[in-house]
Amino acid sequence: MCLKELRESLRDRRTVMTLILMPILVYPLLSMALQRLLIGSATSKQEEIYIIGIDDEKKQSRVDALLTEGQNLLNAGTISPIPPIEFLKKASVSGDLVKLGSSKEEKNENDQSSFDPRKFRLKWIEKPNLTFAVEQGLIDVAFTKLDLNVVSLRRGKTQSFDVEMQFRQGDARGESAAMMLRRMCQLINDQQYEALRQNIDSNFSPAVEMKTIGIGSSVDPTASIAAVIPLVLILMTITGAVYPAIDLTAGERERGTMEAMIATPAPRFALLLSKYIAVVTVAILTALANLSATWVTLSFGGLGQALLGPRGFSLWTLIQILPILVIFAAFFSSILLALCSFAKSFKEAQAYLIPVMLLSLAPGLVTLMPNVEFTTLYAVIPLLNVLLLSRDIMSGTPELVPSVVAVVTTIFYGAASLVVASNLFGSANSAMGSQANWSDLIRRPTKAASSPDVGTFALYLAMLFPVLFVVSNLGTSITKDASLLMGLNAVALFVLFFALPMLWLMYHRVSLSNTFLITDGSEAGLSPSKRIARVACMFLAVLLLASSVWIYAVEGLLLFQSWSIAAQFPDLEKLKKDFMSIPFPWILLTQAIAPAVAEEFFFRGFALSAMKTKMNTVRAVTLTALLFGLFHVITGNVLSPEKFVPTFLLGIVLGATASLTRTIWPGIVLHFSHNALVLWFSRLEKDQLTRWFGESEHIPAIWIVAGGGIIIVGFALLFLASRLKPNT
Amino acid sequence: MIHANQLVKKFSIRGESLIAVNEVSFQVSKGEVYGLLGPNGAGKTTTLRMVMGLLEPDSGWVSIDGKVTSNDSMEHRKMLGLISTNDGVYPWLSVREMLMYFADLYAVDLALAKVRIEELAKLLDMESILDQRCSTLSTGQKQRVTCARGLMHDPPVMLLDEPTRGLDVVGSQTIFRFIELLKERGKAILLSTHRLDEAERVCDRFGLLHHGHMQYEGTLVDLQNATGQTHLTDMFIQLIQSPANA
Repeated sequence: MCLKELRESLRDRRTVMTLILMPILVYPLLSMALQRLLIGSATSKQEEIYIIGIDDEKKQSRVDALLTEGQNLLNAGTISPIPPIEFLKKASVSGDLVKLGSSKEEKNENDQSSFDPRKFRLKWIEKPNLTFAVEQGLIDVAFTKLDLNVVSLRRGKTQSFDVEMQFRQGDARGESAAMMLRRMCQLINDQQYEALRQNIDSNFSPAVEMKTIGIGSSVDPTASIAAVIPLVLILMTITGAVYPAIDLTAGERERGTMEAMIATPAPRFALLLSKYIAVVTVAILTALANLSATWVTLSFGGLGQALLGPRGFSLWTLIQILPILVIFAAFFSSILLALCSFAKSFKEAQAYLIPVMLLSLAPGLVTLMPNVEFTTLYAVIPLLNVLLLSRDIMSGTPELVPSVVAVVTTIFYGAASLVVASNLFGSANSAMGSQANWSDLIRRPTKAASSPDVGTFALYLAMLFPVLFVVSNLGTSITKDASLLMGLNAVALFVLFFALPMLWLMYHRVSLSNTFLITDGSEAGLSPSKRIARVACMFLAVLLLASSVWIYAVEGLLLFQSWSIAAQFPDLEKLKKDFMSIPFPWILLTQAIAPAVAEEFFFRGFALSAMKTKMNTVRAVTLTALLFGLFHVITGNVLSPEKFVPTFLLGIVLGATASLTRTIWPGIVLHFSHNALVLWFSRLEKDQLTRWFGESEHIPAIWIVAGGGIIIVGFALLFLASRLKPNT
Repeated sequence: MIHANQLVKKFSIRGESLIAVNEVSFQVSKGEVYGLLGPNGAGKTTTLRMVMGLLEPDSGWVSIDGKVTSNDSMEHRKMLGLISTNDGVYPWLSVREMLMYFADLYAVDLALAKVRIEELAKLLDMESILDQRCSTLSTGQKQRVTCARGLMHDPPVMLLDEPTRGLDVVGSQTIFRFIELLKERGKAILLSTHRLDEAERVCDRFGLLHHGHMQYEGTLVDLQNATGQTHLTDMFIQLIQSPANA
């Protein structure tokens, strides 16, 4: 089976082109371009000469004196008390100036200045043309005024240099030259002040004396370059895997070979696995080809050391990077197969993959930013983890814990998407094709339905996402008042997650009571005693679950906080202060009651009912919980990944509760109680917390174990309630 | 050999339930060609897919050789061979490689598969194209490869879904000869088509499907007696135009 898949992929010219031709051609060309760029920048760094324009040959001695003195001070790094304007005595009218347009050689021969000629060169330009020359970039700065004034003091006279300098704003050379000249003047003035100070009183100190000390190492320019190489390698690996992934899945469907294949007795997972092995093999071959081409280019093209420092791109680095690329290839191939398994045609698969490829660039850009550290949090973010790990291997500083976390999570994500792909691959729905199109999704159906279908829900969700983003940001732009903001958010939540879904479903003629589990269908036919028993079981279960689930939510948050996520919010203390000043009943109304009602109706009503039309309860509950978790991550104007795990778990508990009780109300009570407890917990002062939990920053293990036990008992009660039947 | 009993399949499209196949029953014996006939959208392909085990019926069952398919779908798939107009070929594989691949999927012994390829190549007149890439084949050649593919595991039951669609007279002729050959070999053949003239030529019994219902079932004589029409085409027009089915 694998052989067939490999033959099919490797004989395809398009695959071979990405596999061999791209690395062979792209890297040497990239290398040549980079070489050119580097040579250019290296030359400009070594021979950075700023050209100063002056309008009078006679003033050259003044500039000469200024620059010589300034450069001496810059080189010395300290200033000594020298009597004021002593340096001006050195000024004398000597030497010829270089006329504009003369060649370099001429300039060097004619340059009589005593300042470092590698830094500055003077050009004489007639006064009216000085500004024009700056504008045109013919000179970097122009001294438009160079007057030596005699200033009368109470005791005697002194001289002062009155200088006016022009430079082109936004021009790197001009700004850099102006900055250097300003610094020189500053140092000369400082020297003068120092002499004055000693004249007045040696103990005199200025009103403010500031010394600035740079701590830590400066940004290593090789780090971001080291990140470019893995990014290119990974993008090329993705490119290599894309075509076979599409061809072996959506391609099978498009050319009509899928049905014959899945009609055979070969297990679907075996079919998918053979395709997976083929895609991974091509991806690995692409990675290998790219890695080898990069290594050859960097090692023999002479770029390795220039880009990566003295270590260059050693064979050892290559050996370390290769397994990372193999793991990445295995991970991304499964993602590609899962996505392509949805598609019915090549075109459709491409439509799915292009956004994923573009999204893949985002973590790549993050790694290019300086000072992005490879933390444990980043180690669990797919793609970003592999990029950061490769970057650190390239620069020779990989840390053990995040590296291991990155490898393990990448393998896990790969395996998970392979399971998804095997479920989707060749499934009846995707094999036969859906007959619905976009207009069907919007058109009002003629017949009433008991549950919404996934398309109705997905379309609402797709429309909800941008609205939610705008609304989340709109609140903060309207008011900064935390209390009012909470109220606005609650109203938005109620409208978007309760009122509009109701209208949407009414438009689609979907039964509201059935979708939202408003009526307790299971109660029908139960004897009064069983009804009481059922309600009591549910009530007790909700009580138990509410008293225990929050422990996991709070611990989840604490865990993430210990991973220094909270450090991203510098105004956390202010937020907490604002939060404490709001009356608790208002907080309960906006943060517990409103979300409990709106989110339960939306997720456990609308979403879960829709999911159940396409999949079994366990999958429907898991997928709904996943959406519930993601919704909490994207709410607000900042991503909050720390909320995902706690809210996902809460989503599972709430979904299971709704499915077992077949009514929405116990879930609402549970959701409310959970939120209320977490809110109450977050208002506790530190000493109260210490009294409860001790000095530890985490909830004690005994609480967690006990909480788990209570959750099990709670679910056992719910299960009991669900088993009560009229005839027993 | 094939026994379909009260098959029902519903699809949900935008919350609306569509009954694609409604209580369809039929039987096909060894050496018999059963024509499942009907206009486009009658439910022929859905019925065939349920027989194949690719779609699970909402109710009813299919048995092959006395064994209900849902109990061991993998085992019963070995007994079925599928040939469909929609079937494609792998452009980058040679005919031989493609046939070997399907032999592998049906767990046919390697040596046996090689012998069978030679046999089928002789039978379907494709010896010269065995080592040719599938992308270079003509439509008729591709259809012959598809026929060979369906027979690689020598199944006792053949399902043919519109096998002559898109073929010219010569191509169709090859398919008819192929069906005759299968019949001679004692295979139970379920043929789905809307080409009534062809069906009349090769089928022993017929099932007329319309809107998912089995309207008539039996031999040509049975149908002639039931409808009062001589030809299948006239029977069909009468069926479609009858007020009860409008």
